[in-house]
Amino acid sequence: MSETREITLTVNGTDHTIDVEPRKLLVHAIREDLDMTGTHIGCDTGNCGACTVLVDGEPLKSCLMFTAQADGSEVMTVEGMEDLPESDGDLHPLQEGFHEEHGLQCGYCTPGMIMSGKALLDENPDPSEEEIREAISGNLCRCTGYQNIVKSIEYAAEKLAAQPAADGGRII
Amino acid sequence: GHGRGGMGEGVKRKEDKRFITGRGNYVDDIKKPGMLHCEIVRSPHAHARINEIDTSRAMEVDGVVAVLTAEDLAAHELATMPTLMDDTQDVLVNDKVKFQSQEVAAVIAEDRYVAKDGAEKVAVDYEVLDPVVTAEDALEADAPLIRDELDDQEDNHIFDWDVGDKEATDKVFEAADVTVSEQMEYQRLHPAPIETCGCVTDWDPGKDKITVHLTSQAPHAHRTLFSQVSGIPEHKVRIVSPDIGGGFGNKVPIYPGYVVAAAASVVLERPVKWMEERSENIQTTGFARDYDMTGELAATEDGIIKGVRTDVLANHGAYNAVAQPSKFPAGFFNIFTGSYDVEAAYGSLTAAFTNTAPGGVAYRCSFRVTEAVYLIERMVKVLAQELDMDPAEIRRRNFIQPEQFPYESATGWNYDSGDYEKALDKALEMADYDHYREEQRRRIENDADKLIGIGISSFTEVVGAGPGKSCDIAGIEMFDSADIRVNPTGNAVLRVGVQTQGQGHETTFAQIVAEELGMDVENITVEHGDTDTDPYGLGTYGSRSTPVAGAATAVAARKVRDKAKSIAANELEAAEEDIEWDRGSGEFHVAGAPDRSLTITEIAASAYMNHPGSEEPGLEAVNYYDPPEMTYPFGSYIVVVEVDRETGEVDFERFVAVDDCGNRINPMVIEGQIHGGLAQGIGTAMMEHVTYDENGNCTGGDFMNYLLPTANEIPNFETGYTVTPSPHHPIGAKGVGESPTVGSPPAIVNAVVDAMAHAGTTHVEMPMTPDRVWENLAEAGLERDPA
Repeated sequence: MSETREITLTVNGTDHTIDVEPRKLLVHAIREDLDMTGTHIGCDTGNCGACTVLVDGEPLKSCLMFTAQADGSEVMTVEGMEDLPESDGDLHPLQEGFHEEHGLQCGYCTPGMIMSGKALLDENPDPSEEEIREAISGNLCRCTGYQNIVKSIEYAAEKLAAQPAADGGRII
Repeated sequence: GHGRGGMGEGVKRKEDKRFITGRGNYVDDIKKPGMLHCEIVRSPHAHARINEIDTSRAMEVDGVVAVLTAEDLAAHELATMPTLMDDTQDVLVNDKVKFQSQEVAAVIAEDRYVAKDGAEKVAVDYEVLDPVVTAEDALEADAPLIRDELDDQEDNHIFDWDVGDKEATDKVFEAADVTVSEQMEYQRLHPAPIETCGCVTDWDPGKDKITVHLTSQAPHAHRTLFSQVSGIPEHKVRIVSPDIGGGFGNKVPIYPGYVVAAAASVVLERPVKWMEERSENIQTTGFARDYDMTGELAATEDGIIKGVRTDVLANHGAYNAVAQPSKFPAGFFNIFTGSYDVEAAYGSLTAAFTNTAPGGVAYRCSFRVTEAVYLIERMVKVLAQELDMDPAEIRRRNFIQPEQFPYESATGWNYDSGDYEKALDKALEMADYDHYREEQRRRIENDADKLIGIGISSFTEVVGAGPGKSCDIAGIEMFDSADIRVNPTGNAVLRVGVQTQGQGHETTFAQIVAEELGMDVENITVEHGDTDTDPYGLGTYGSRSTPVAGAATAVAARKVRDKAKSIAANELEAAEEDIEWDRGSGEFHVAGAPDRSLTITEIAASAYMNHPGSEEPGLEAVNYYDPPEMTYPFGSYIVVVEVDRETGEVDFERFVAVDDCGNRINPMVIEGQIHGGLAQGIGTAMMEHVTYDENGNCTGGDFMNYLLPTANEIPNFETGYTVTPSPHHPIGAKGVGESPTVGSPPAIVNAVVDAMAHAGTTHVEMPMTPDRVWENLAEAGLERDPA
């Protein structure tokens, strides 16, 4: 095995220091070194987006990035969604939206979809259907035909818009 | 429905929570102490003799534990394995590879990266042979012989098959006013579930037992096959299908990777994980379709169809490994007379070996029904054009009428129920058909840049395999099963012999129990996929779950209800025949005294705490359901497209799908199935194609080249339904999961053809990529240079 180097990642708010080979893909580090297996692998060419995570707030396909490139970064995966303030200790509005609108079937693309949805809503809280479809066009789904995924993200956008401002305001 | 989550209610899915929080448990999520990783060394050639395999340098790689070749497997009689169609497939090859990316050796290592390093160091000396990649070329007299290891195989011909009355059909064609013929290719596709195939094998030398977590749509059948192939007795084989990231028929066959990983675990006495990559999935696991079809119709001048004839060339790849009932070498292709009352029909088919991956039945095909429906629905459109008739009207004139059911077709099927015109009328109305016909004329008159085309498909499916007398997988009759156990506190666990891959069984099967026992759906847990605990079933494919295991669930629940009645009689001090069950309230009460009633929860307590002497304690039942017939759901789909004469691009203006699957368990889940299947129909018609070049290189073998539709290519669907229950099914339900992929491709092709029909176009081959559509526009003289 080739030499390893020490990498520090902040994943869902927790710091992790791991030894990885320079060639290790971020998706494998997340899944195998950190045991967060919500992030999935669906292809070997960067097309499917099942591995989508947020790296420093940007949606990235973690199969196209070496772990070493994420050294010092803040990474967010689907496992971190419930800890966000807008989740209020429960499911995040996006997660709730996917459940309410039947935006998932086998569930394999879902974590990546949710992360792409989060990246979109962070940038654009009130997206049009076209903007949603564009934002998830790097995420392949084989089960849903996308229509309910669009509705799920719309559901979340509406729910988030109805929440008080994120500056510490919480629904009681 | 009764408000507790029973039949017909859009119950939100019980399985969602773990998936939306990243807590699903798929095969590659499994980690076991000491687990090794398997990487397969694959052939770069489509057809080549192997002179030598040198594994020595791979063994020198730090972390490589073993390198297996066919020789190692042969010592355990595992170098080859039987297929489901009476053929034998190489697990690892050491004499001659027969398709590109075929399995040659396997490297077992401590880490998946190291396994890949090792695989790169395996040196194989090949002597390249001429390949043959199409069925037509394979059947040429001078074609290279692919299966030269078989004693009685002198060419690449696998089998001939035919169905129907040839003589009667020929007569009908000779006497007909009009006959039409069209040749059409149903191109090779791949189901491409987003999760690929894989397994974790774990041999326990203390118990002489192997546990295999497997991407399996049919865990019990796989247990039996694993046992037969490996020689490990079946009670020492445990197959577990954990959460499966989509199946679509891809996860029905047994693949060499599973066998290699199992052998490695037994030999090394450590768990072994094999998880294929996407390109391996597309290039080596079960493909779909690849039927080269000629269709013919005979009709009167009024458009009454008298006869159907078809001839097919089928490409089965290098091995005949089609996953289908053993007595149906062409699956249920003989449903090709469709929704129409036809006097005579005859079909013939020739199957060939080629230097391509094996497969054929997969991808929501219901055992070749996709091909059958494509054939008949395309041909009806061709006939309508020939007669200058409206394609809706010609269907109307030929539909099997509601009162004709049960209807025996010219090719021997016994359709259970249907009301085809009702579904078509509903679809026509939803799609605003007359408006688009008008708009189509207007655009032609104005010589517009964008043409309108309207396509219809009024299909009949055949799902729910099947009656044990005719349907078996490797000899095992195609029943399915349910096992319901009601706990002392009134909640229940249902175990079934089918295996969801996202279709929502954990919710919908609970709904059947809720309906039959008056329970709240929240109080029922559905389990599946573990062969140590679940009743034996044949698995989920061919839209068979609702028809077969859904029936078993209702029957088992009714057994529980019967026993509950007896317990209620004991508790209420009444005669059993005086106890009535009220579906609305879900309660058991004394006839004429509704206040003397018990709920299932109260009865469950009595079953454990105060059971009547006439009954055993406990409250549970099992049913193994052998279906008397298949179910025949149907639908009418209408697609309106706009075809750009400059670019050949096709836009979907409207996409209307009316389905009838009998009684509907969960409308929300059905709609999701329809959306997904229609998207796959669009992929089929517009984008997807596993291609090979003349050297046998798979040129459509990854997601760069095998294109799946994204959210940008898929329109919003408009779904509708009618309800024509299956008379023989315990809850009147039919399967539906595959209907949208079966029904939609001909509607889409018919729409694109329709846009050019005024210029004489009768067919456009799939996938209808912009360049191909543009070529067809040009052939019809309709192309337009960019302004």
